Amino acid sequence: MTGNTLFKLGDWGIYALFIVTVLGLPLVMDDVFWLNRISKYLVYGMLGIAIALSWGYAGILNLGQGLFFGLGAYMVAMSLKLQSYTSTQQGSDMPVPDFMLWNAEPGAPTELCCIVQGSWLWLPFQSQWFGMAMAIVLPVLIALVLSSAIFRLRVSGVYVAIITLALVLLVRLLIIDAQPITNGFNGLTDLGWLTVAGIEFDPYMVSTYYVVAVSTCVVLLLTRWLVSTRAGLILQSTRDDPNRSRYLGYDVAAYQVFFFTVSAGIAGFAGMLYVIAAEFASPSFLDITFSISMVVWAAVGGRSSLIGAAIGAILINTIEATASETEMFQEAWKLIIGVIFVLVVLYMPRGLAGLAQDLLGRISSARGSGDKQAARSGAPAE
Amino acid sequence: MVAALTIDALEVDFSGFKAVDGMTTVINEGELRVVLGPNGAGKTTLMDLISGKTASTGGEVRLFGRDITNRPEHQIARAGVGRKFQIPSVFRDLTVHDNLRVAVSHEPRVFRNLRLGMAPADRARIDEVIALTGLEPVLDVIAGDLSHGQMQWLELGMLITQQARVILLDEPTAGMTQAETLKTADIILKLKGNHTLLVVEHDMAFVRKIAERVTVMHLGRLLAEGPMAKIEQDPAVRDAYLGSGGAH
Repeated sequence: MTGNTLFKLGDWGIYALFIVTVLGLPLVMDDVFWLNRISKYLVYGMLGIAIALSWGYAGILNLGQGLFFGLGAYMVAMSLKLQSYTSTQQGSDMPVPDFMLWNAEPGAPTELCCIVQGSWLWLPFQSQWFGMAMAIVLPVLIALVLSSAIFRLRVSGVYVAIITLALVLLVRLLIIDAQPITNGFNGLTDLGWLTVAGIEFDPYMVSTYYVVAVSTCVVLLLTRWLVSTRAGLILQSTRDDPNRSRYLGYDVAAYQVFFFTVSAGIAGFAGMLYVIAAEFASPSFLDITFSISMVVWAAVGGRSSLIGAAIGAILINTIEATASETEMFQEAWKLIIGVIFVLVVLYMPRGLAGLAQDLLGRISSARGSGDKQAARSGAPAE
Repeated sequence: MVAALTIDALEVDFSGFKAVDGMTTVINEGELRVVLGPNGAGKTTLMDLISGKTASTGGEVRLFGRDITNRPEHQIARAGVGRKFQIPSVFRDLTVHDNLRVAVSHEPRVFRNLRLGMAPADRARIDEVIALTGLEPVLDVIAGDLSHGQMQWLELGMLITQQARVILLDEPTAGMTQAETLKTADIILKLKGNHTLLVVEHDMAFVRKIAERVTVMHLGRLLAEGPMAKIEQDPAVRDAYLGSGGAH
């Protein structure tokens, strides 16, 4: 009993430590350049959480999570682009993105409604709140339709991975192809700042860091609550044996759709925060390598642990930033991360979180069953 | 007597081969019915048809008068049919206790399950099942680490927790030791009366211990039905077993 309590305490201790560290970081770090960097890594941490939720808890390997991240990013970037001087100072009453002028046919009216074909799609994005809402609503809607189709047809395993992978590539192509309204390969750059109640969120300000940091902590705690509910337990049961869940009366597809969609919503939210911190959106968000990187972060951190996946993402990116700036590692970095991934998959399938759990488990069982047994099993005494 | 499960001229056609071919039987509420039959008689297929795993091509299955033929599995389960598979089917990565918690399935909808903890009545029911199945010492063990017998009892316990009105058991003692078989028989006998049970089994010692009425299937059809003693004397039953290579 004491062992079990200790185990739970240790688990919550890690959450508390994470949140205190993330929120307290600006007190000890006054380098705004690094704070901005870390806010981006926290966004990646959020993506790690989204992957752990669908891969670890639902058993659904989504190799196209970048689709939802990218869409979330584009939605808010469209709004912020319209607030930028590159849109407002084009000599018309309404803001018009600069790249649309470059793409417009001679003599086209310099109005957002009709400067290029399809530019009217941008009209509602003049409201920043519309863009921010769509950053979550659009990924959620697409995930809902997509996952309903996939899971009602009982598609599972590697086929889900292939479908999601194909879809992210398809949407990437569409975005690049719709160059007049998306600026194609170049993406949306020179964005304005998020402005709320007269406060401008300059990415290199502590307040912007806090927007991302608080969001990450809230998402972490909310998903943690979600997997602790009965619905979260039932979801895990569908991962282990979907037939058994069905014969208990659960509509397995409904659970898969719900959690897949939540995961997509988190990715969309992460995309939005990334744009606020990084000031651009680009089709590279929908590259296969990016979606696969997310899976690697989650695998290294521990796919069946939300906080493990988040820490995995933050850790890998922080090391990457440091290592890739050292001349010696600049080229070798990708190789190193590949080797780490292979080693983790082969020898540490539960990732860093699994390692921490084993350690905690040993300590608590040593405490729980008395000193004699602990000594016999050779468990560490601390 | 209330008819719990009515199987009426049930039929399935696997591209020309009729695994179940016009099977008819009625199982009353609280009854424990054993289904016997030589290999290939269609016993497991019959269970697949009742539980919705396989779609039938003719006939009807009624549960307390309600037509449940060819509904999706989860709807048949919600209507009150619980099923145990031949190969133990439990949630292998969850603890025994969590397995039983998932089995409390009277509220199957996603959004209604977005809450922590369980109602006291549900907890009490889980505790009853734990006492009945003797799983107390292994509650915190991951189900995948259980012995074969314990896994079978866990699955049985899940069906009881589920409060299935009709329980289908496909060879519940397969692969069990003598002692485990006896314990399983005890559990099943305790269920009789509160639940309606349909059991497919080959172990004749076990069948004699639990059976009252027996249904014998042959070539997808009903061959004989009645008390165990009478069935064992039935010449048609003997022929069916001898004709297909002897009894088990």
